[in-house]
Amino acid sequence: MIAAHIRTAAPVTASLDDLIDDLNSLMAEEAEASLRYFQMRFRVRGRGRQEAEHFFEEALKETLDHANEVAAQIKALGRIPKLRVQLALEGSPIQAADALAEALDVEQQALTAYEDFLPRTAGHPELEAFIARQVATETEHVRELRRLLDATSNLTLLKRASSEGA
Amino acid sequence: MDTWKAFEANELTHSAAHHLVAIYDVGQDYGGWARVSDIARQLNITRGSVSINLRALKRRALVQTDDHRLVKLTDEGLRAARAVMAKRVLVVTFLSEVLGVPADQAEIDSCKIEHLVSDETGHRLAQFLRFVSSDGEAAELLGRFQRFRCRCPKSADCGLCKGRCLVDELKRAI
Repeated sequence: MIAAHIRTAAPVTASLDDLIDDLNSLMAEEAEASLRYFQMRFRVRGRGRQEAEHFFEEALKETLDHANEVAAQIKALGRIPKLRVQLALEGSPIQAADALAEALDVEQQALTAYEDFLPRTAGHPELEAFIARQVATETEHVRELRRLLDATSNLTLLKRASSEGA
Repeated sequence: MDTWKAFEANELTHSAAHHLVAIYDVGQDYGGWARVSDIARQLNITRGSVSINLRALKRRALVQTDDHRLVKLTDEGLRAARAVMAKRVLVVTFLSEVLGVPADQAEIDSCKIEHLVSDETGHRLAQFLRFVSSDGEAAELLGRFQRFRCRCPKSADCGLCKGRCLVDELKRAI
């Protein structure tokens, strides 16, 4: 049952409309992530705050760049990008480790979205090459973010251990 | 009475209720397991948003995830989803069949309040609907209500409005 959910990597011929729909969704993922990171910078507190703020500062630019690149692909296919974003972000403070864990979820979903889309780009070599690059880039992002999250979580654990030992 | 505070502290937000019902719907053919991408499609939002919202549901032990990042309702999540779906049916039925609200408007209004109706009110609503559908006199009364066309008296004489015409205020709001 569960295996039926996991999409195979077999190429699927997609209509142009379907491709555009998927690209619009990818652009929305990136644009929405950019807005999340934009606001997250101001919420972060606790150990690892500076590193996390720096991460979000960079990530907001990068995700916006990615949205722009996806939009360029839509334009290259002869369409105008359609952006649908529904977002209401709370202003409560958040610990750096929790903020990075949220970002990891978002990046992981972006990676999976690009991976799912890649087989559907068959027959569009430029688009296929772009999506393959995005998969590589997002894979690296997820890896880096995981390292940063581990480092931040270790800092938090160290702090907890030292305060319990005191 | 601080009802509005209780409203804000409501244990299930509108978004949470929709996520639970979407997981239930999407997972029906897969032993309860749902993919984030399918939940996102069902709710017409991004995968990123779904994954963030799932974190909150997971913290409250309403959903569980597996190694493939598939999502399933826990027993508590399933109970909450079923309660929301039951209240949706009750509210839609009440609005459309008792009050005579058009079906599409009844769906919209029900969607807004289904997660806010308490279990107790849901239970009483179910009893009321059973009552009007099984009791001959109640059914007759319901028929009379549905044929009734409001002719307002002066608001000072009105037992409902007590000096300020509620019907006029609703008309002005539209």
